[in-house]
Amino acid sequence: MSHWSDTLPVPSGQRRDQVPRDHSIYPQLLEITLHLRQAMREHFVQLTSRQGLSLEERRHTQAIREKEALLSCLIRRMINLLQSEAASDLELQVPLPSEDSRGDVRYGHRDQLSGQSDPVPQLSDCEAAFVSRDLSNRGIDISVFYQSSFQDYNAYQKDKYHKDKNTLGFINLGTSENKLCMDLMTERLQERDMNCIEDALLQYPDWRGQPFLREEVARFLTYYCRAPTRLDPENVVVLNGCCSVFSALAMVLCDPGEAFLVPAPFYGGFAFSSRLYAKVELIPVYLESEVTVTNTQPFQLTVDKLEEALLEARREGKKVRGLVLINPQNPVGDIYSPDSLMKYLEFAKRYNLHVIIDEIYMLSVFDESITFHSVLSMKSLPDRNRTHVIWGTSKDFGISGFRFGALYTHNKEVVSAVSAFGYLHSISGIVQHKLCQLLHNTEWIDKVYLPTNCCRLREAHKYITAKLKALEIPFHNSSSGLYVWINLKKYLDPCTFEEERLLYCRFLDNKLLLSRGKAYMCKEPGWFCLIFADELPRLKLAMRRFCDVLQEQKEALIVKQLEDAMRE
Amino acid sequence: MFTLPQKDLSAPTTCLGPTCMQDLGSSHGDDLEGECSRKLDQKLPELLGVGDPAILSSDTSYLSSRGRMIKWFWDSAEEGYRTYHMDEYDEDKNPSGIINLGVSENKLCSDLLSWRLSQSDMQRVEPSLLQYADWRGHLFLREEVAKFLSFYCKSPAPLRPENVVVLNGGASLFSALATVLCEAREAFLIPTPYYGAITQHVCLYGNVRLAYVYLDSEVTGLDTRPFQLTVEKLETALREAHSEGVKVKGLILINPQNPLGDIYSPEELQEYLVFAKRHKLHVIVDEVYMLSVFEESVGYRSVLSLERLPDPQRTHVMWATSKDFGMSGLRFGTLYTENQDVATAVASLCRYHGLSGLVQYQMAQLLRDRDWINQVYLPENHARLKAAHTYVSEELRALGIPFLSRGAGFFIWVDLRKYLPKGTFEEEMLLWRRFLDNKVLLSFGKAFECKEPGWFRFVFSDQAHRLCLGMQRVRQVLAGKSQVAEDPPPSQSQEPSDQRR
Repeated sequence: MSHWSDTLPVPSGQRRDQVPRDHSIYPQLLEITLHLRQAMREHFVQLTSRQGLSLEERRHTQAIREKEALLSCLIRRMINLLQSEAASDLELQVPLPSEDSRGDVRYGHRDQLSGQSDPVPQLSDCEAAFVSRDLSNRGIDISVFYQSSFQDYNAYQKDKYHKDKNTLGFINLGTSENKLCMDLMTERLQERDMNCIEDALLQYPDWRGQPFLREEVARFLTYYCRAPTRLDPENVVVLNGCCSVFSALAMVLCDPGEAFLVPAPFYGGFAFSSRLYAKVELIPVYLESEVTVTNTQPFQLTVDKLEEALLEARREGKKVRGLVLINPQNPVGDIYSPDSLMKYLEFAKRYNLHVIIDEIYMLSVFDESITFHSVLSMKSLPDRNRTHVIWGTSKDFGISGFRFGALYTHNKEVVSAVSAFGYLHSISGIVQHKLCQLLHNTEWIDKVYLPTNCCRLREAHKYITAKLKALEIPFHNSSSGLYVWINLKKYLDPCTFEEERLLYCRFLDNKLLLSRGKAYMCKEPGWFCLIFADELPRLKLAMRRFCDVLQEQKEALIVKQLEDAMRE
Repeated sequence: MFTLPQKDLSAPTTCLGPTCMQDLGSSHGDDLEGECSRKLDQKLPELLGVGDPAILSSDTSYLSSRGRMIKWFWDSAEEGYRTYHMDEYDEDKNPSGIINLGVSENKLCSDLLSWRLSQSDMQRVEPSLLQYADWRGHLFLREEVAKFLSFYCKSPAPLRPENVVVLNGGASLFSALATVLCEAREAFLIPTPYYGAITQHVCLYGNVRLAYVYLDSEVTGLDTRPFQLTVEKLETALREAHSEGVKVKGLILINPQNPLGDIYSPEELQEYLVFAKRHKLHVIVDEVYMLSVFEESVGYRSVLSLERLPDPQRTHVMWATSKDFGMSGLRFGTLYTENQDVATAVASLCRYHGLSGLVQYQMAQLLRDRDWINQVYLPENHARLKAAHTYVSEELRALGIPFLSRGAGFFIWVDLRKYLPKGTFEEEMLLWRRFLDNKVLLSFGKAFECKEPGWFRFVFSDQAHRLCLGMQRVRQVLAGKSQVAEDPPPSQSQEPSDQRR
């Protein structure tokens, strides 16, 4: 299961010219596929024969066999198809996606592989040609982009750790989910007020969200964001998740090829949401970990940096339509002070930029000494018609499976345009009712949920940071969010993104899923994001695996250094 | 740097020639919006016009050019909502409000469904339902969908869960399929009249167009029934699209058909599929009304029941609970395709079309309950649909009004051409407005891109008292109409004139 990424089905645009424009491609593909099948069979024989006989291991073997069966079936279908195509005289079309269209997010291995002559890049091409028979170019792009970024996550979904049933399964400290308050949420959601089936909930809704829910969201945000005046339900649009809101905003604020500025490192999900449907580019405003005269804090965002990035983008002929801010920041976990927030907003106003502010972690600030200031708490916004706020329940209430995200904007045009996406991003009426009840119960939120959640987040954070300190791993100390931003540079030699990827794969081999800096567009290799909002037993086991990997890595580094020394 | 040129939404005039304009003119998300949306038609030529009218210049708008087009979609919908929702009929609170026979919703069985959804097995909450899951849909639900479709579509072999993708409704599915099967500005063939909302679904994100296969009510030549779809017509439409430089990637079939209430026989279906295979077209078969066939004699066959599909890798089937289970607000739709590339590509977009875990659980429970569906729900639903259908069709017969309906769906396709002296779409619009003024909302043919002015869709799947009142109001208008028709049309009318034809 190691080094998934090496066999990634990435069609390589650079090789486009080498693809023969006649029918002879099919016999070639067939040959490669047969070769692939042989390699796969051998690999599975290895995998399944080295297992012991304990119950767990047998179960694990069973899982591998099932996977093998599935893969064999797929390959068999490919072979059948290729055999028939090799014979037919179909006009060949190999509409590979253009290199440019996926230039914005790139994984190190692709560039590396495309130059080599081993079978791997050929496989990539074969896969692309195969896929492109049925999908549009953008369909291939979407599919490949998604799979390349989510295959590890999908592997985790299929082989999750369970304390009794699957002790060898993956532990996921790479997906930002809060699993600490499942008991409270499960209980709350089973209460009577949650279950309501009315005709109105089963029929076509108001596509902006049911009026009762939009009212509740406005009330909720007024209260928790400490808005100076009551927020207006007419300014609320409710969709099935914050990424849907972001996707819709990208559609209506930008034309294809236009761009948003985003301080990097930033939450990688935005790269999808801007790209999959909307084809909007995210231009990173690179922040640095080094503290210098101008950079008084690690990863500090300044107006100078924003300005520089904007002007640079303009020089390159890019049309920048807005700025995306995440507050509390993900993955660094910092909180913008009202002063700096104001400066960013004024910067945006100066250049007529929209500002999308994602406050999805606003209630996950677990250090009591720190106060979060929502942009909605400001007395007056520099450019309120270009300021758009996103919030959802996924993180703050730990219910990412609920699919709920809300937009708040004063701009009526934006409200209308985003509402048109209500058809495509709608939430079930039954769920809208539950959400309304959940948000409505301020007493439970204030007295039960939030104190417990903050306390548990604090505990988990304390546990993880103590471990990191013991391992002498530097990390960015923050007080909000569900994650710690850690620096594993010292385990990389040389300190490159390729080494970062290899370390990531090493974690994966030990059934530990983490997120690496590259996925957050971090400029410096070696950073990882560790999500700690999980129950202690799982967290402990995860940290054990984490330590094992680092120990292994350390030993490997020593061996490597010795070898290097001997060579000299 | 991206595949879509910047102006692609604001200047689609290069695409389908005249149909392109109609595309946008008839666009709306839900029947309701479309039918009430005509006021905005006038804005459209302006929006689409060559050059750069003030309305499109960025000084006056915060939106991108595609954003302004998208907003236009919504504003036309808003118009409709205002008309209807400001004055919705309520037996007690607003007895003189508008009766809605325009939106295709089944309101006949909400008692049964409310009961079923309130049972204790539906209330399960567990952590895995509250967390991120497989974006294709929870495995337990996909398994249930596969079993359900195997049974009700009578598939020759069991259908497989890995071919199932679950999303939040059919609209999302059209959007995702359009995006992964077509490039921007490519097109799907669709026989008209058709459920007009599809225009918006494929256009919003996908920027994909529809190329119309116009059908006639006249029975001539090889046609044996009105609005019959033939391979010849498909060929002609495809040729025309090509000659206009439009690349057609697929064919959309709705079976049972909306708004005709018609059903394709297995032989016809086979012919269309063979046609599609010949031209390497994908076929999206929307079977959202498959369990709403209330005349048993009709003999409906799902495409999934065919022994051998001509091109299984390019045949994609849609189903949802919106119609067959009368739950349009629940937002559950599903794709069945043997093409793993298509399934994977659609699943890649499911991040944006996800369905709450709790609802996925409820859907699995519902679909699994074969006893209740077979013994309670379906017989009752069909009986009620049949009774409502009989009532409306007899009313129409009594009025001497011709109509089409073969016993499937929630609607009757009504021929009111004799009430339009000049037989124009302006008159159709005026008649529709008269119905609305008399507090009954219907859908007019233009919203379905019907070629002939004067056809209306009557939705009959509503409670008897509302239906009676609605039909009474229809009668009043038609009775009055025959007198008014002699008079010159009111010159001060604010209705948009249909300038596109």
